[in-house]
Amino acid sequence: MGKAAGTGKFRKFLYHDTTVGYIFALPFIFGFICFSLIPMATSLYYSFTDYGMAVKVPEFIGLDNFKQLLTDEVFHKSLLVTIKYVIISVPLKLAFALLVAFVLTRKSKMVTLYRSLYYVPSLVGGSVAVALVWKQLFARRGLFNEVMTSMGLDRINWFGDQALALYPLILMAVWQFGSSMIIFAAGLKEIPTTYYEAAKIDGANGFQSFFKITLPCLSPIILYNLVMQTIQAFMTFTQAFIITGGGPNNSTMLYALNVYNQAFQYDHMGYACAMSWVMLVVMAVVTLVIFKTSKMWVFSEADS
Amino acid sequence: MKKKKILALLMAAAMVVGLAACSSGGDADKGSDNAQTTEDNGEQKTLRMAWWGSQTRHDITMQAIELYEKEHPDINIEYEYYSFDDYFTKLKTLVASDQVWDIFQLGGNFPEYMDKIHFLNEYVDSGIVDTSDISDAYLKTTEDTEGNLIGLSLGVNAYGIAYDPAIFEEAGAELPKDGWTWDDYYEAATKIHDELGIFGCSSFGSSEFIAGCSTYIAQYGEHAGDYNFFNIDLTGMGFDDPQMLTPYIQMRADMIEEGSYPDSGAAAEITNIENDFLVTGEAGMTWVAVNQFPTIYDVCAADGRELALAPLPRIKSDGPTGIVTQSSQMLCVSEDSEYKEDAAEFINWFVNSTECNDILQGERGIPIPDSVRESLSSNATDGQKIMYDYMDLISTYEVPEEFNVLSPAGQDQVVDNYRNYIDQVVFGEITAEEAADKTYADAEALFK
Repeated sequence: MGKAAGTGKFRKFLYHDTTVGYIFALPFIFGFICFSLIPMATSLYYSFTDYGMAVKVPEFIGLDNFKQLLTDEVFHKSLLVTIKYVIISVPLKLAFALLVAFVLTRKSKMVTLYRSLYYVPSLVGGSVAVALVWKQLFARRGLFNEVMTSMGLDRINWFGDQALALYPLILMAVWQFGSSMIIFAAGLKEIPTTYYEAAKIDGANGFQSFFKITLPCLSPIILYNLVMQTIQAFMTFTQAFIITGGGPNNSTMLYALNVYNQAFQYDHMGYACAMSWVMLVVMAVVTLVIFKTSKMWVFSEADS
Repeated sequence: MKKKKILALLMAAAMVVGLAACSSGGDADKGSDNAQTTEDNGEQKTLRMAWWGSQTRHDITMQAIELYEKEHPDINIEYEYYSFDDYFTKLKTLVASDQVWDIFQLGGNFPEYMDKIHFLNEYVDSGIVDTSDISDAYLKTTEDTEGNLIGLSLGVNAYGIAYDPAIFEEAGAELPKDGWTWDDYYEAATKIHDELGIFGCSSFGSSEFIAGCSTYIAQYGEHAGDYNFFNIDLTGMGFDDPQMLTPYIQMRADMIEEGSYPDSGAAAEITNIENDFLVTGEAGMTWVAVNQFPTIYDVCAADGRELALAPLPRIKSDGPTGIVTQSSQMLCVSEDSEYKEDAAEFINWFVNSTECNDILQGERGIPIPDSVRESLSSNATDGQKIMYDYMDLISTYEVPEEFNVLSPAGQDQVVDNYRNYIDQVVFGEITAEEAADKTYADAEALFK
């Protein structure tokens, strides 16, 4: 062969499966370190300082930022509002997604067209343009109120009433159920039709087969969608920023919007970083709870 | 195996040749471009500039810039323009990355950006910036307490109430006049709402704080300057009793509840002066910075409506007005700029040149150089005449010896909280007295 022993070992290393794997993953690893890991570490550091963009040299202030959170009215309100938003919008969104997915897996010629149609809101969903349209829809003189008055009903002042302002935002989130729907549709297709046939033979009606067959078989997918949508809902920003700006009286001050205000408008970057880490802990706890309780309701085919 | 290897080699070679051809083609083009520009005008400097404002302001500023570029072919100005909120969002990110625009617009909130401002004093001394035509009083509007010239003011103005006399007459409400009080204001707005079903007054927006706090406190006492919201040195508050804020808060909350003033949902629909409720006909009056008056006057005149301008209401009919003449905006040279002298030269031209100001027409405020003011007022439109008359009226008011040109850092949060407290009073969560206490506490906390 005529190759030196050293070169042989290097070649072996280079062609080893693990190495090849890492090399291909290198771009992602690089991106992750630069754009996720390092900013996260920096943010953790800043949360213990009084950093603001005008303050070039941040001073270490220990846990003061976190202590301030305990007495910050707006922070408490934003936490409550966000939890309320998540609790209402996520189940609603999943329910719609499941319903539409179920309807769309019935045999019909137009099914593919409908599936694409219902997915479109997800594509355009989080954009600023749609948020602006939504703002107009529910404005005092917007489409919704025009329809109300034409039917002889009173106008509803959505964005002026602190009890009502959150609902258009929830509606906009629910409207973007497309991605969950596609995943549910895929899951529905996986359920063996033999189960349904057996149930029919035994005399089960539609409702019974839905609750006894469909839901349990779908439960791993429901779990997946639940976790993903909950995490996404906690991070909602665009709707609140564009449509209401947090008002009236902070009744739509979602958590991410509050962080943005503190960081960029009031120049309390360190404080905003502290808030972000609190949110990380909250979301981690919620996700953990969901996973732990999932053992009780998630049915895995392997187990039966 | 041999065939495969040859094929692979050939394909790789083809790809490489293709890539090389593409890139060298590009390089050749770039090379010739460079050659051309260096032949034509020596070195072309590019200055970056940004400002905020309404579409009118964007259009006329761009015209002025094009005029300057025509007269100075070696200068190329890359400009950006934004709405008020977006501008400061962008500015803050540029501050963080040390890339602030060479020439940028700032208002009374400049202390936050002090580090990024290159003072103009050296250019005044060297003659690049000509201040001979500008009175000291007007120069002072953009100077800090140590005599540093922070920028050149693009115009001075004051605040006032713009109103539609026709709406007032239709409702049978008393017209605003010099010396009218907040009680008169409340009655007129209520009358308009009761009779016509529209808002008596449009939302003050973020100027609610200026109306209810800065100006309101300054209207207490016997003489101008007796009380101030913040003290002159900006080291603390300028008044002791938080309850002095209560009557205004109570009035505002009452008006929102009664429907004569927009609630925060309706107020959020106003994005700039051109869709303010006075202009759309849904309100009888509104708060304006006087330099915006000609813009809305012209818009309403196109609809056949004639607007008028009145001073701010006072607490006592013969008490201090609380109105001060301030620089509305100024242009500053950025510390990050590579072409500070050229930037200063542009600012000098922008402020002092009569041709430039003929295009700008005082949209940012009354120009500070005497000759420019004279030239403009002789060609003023109706709306502008009203504006100039108003400024003359303001200059007859008693002015305090010293007043705050600056706002303290962090004021934004106090302003937002103030508006939330008013909402809370409307919803019955807190009383007006508690709102006053909280506002005072927030403002005081800025100095801790």
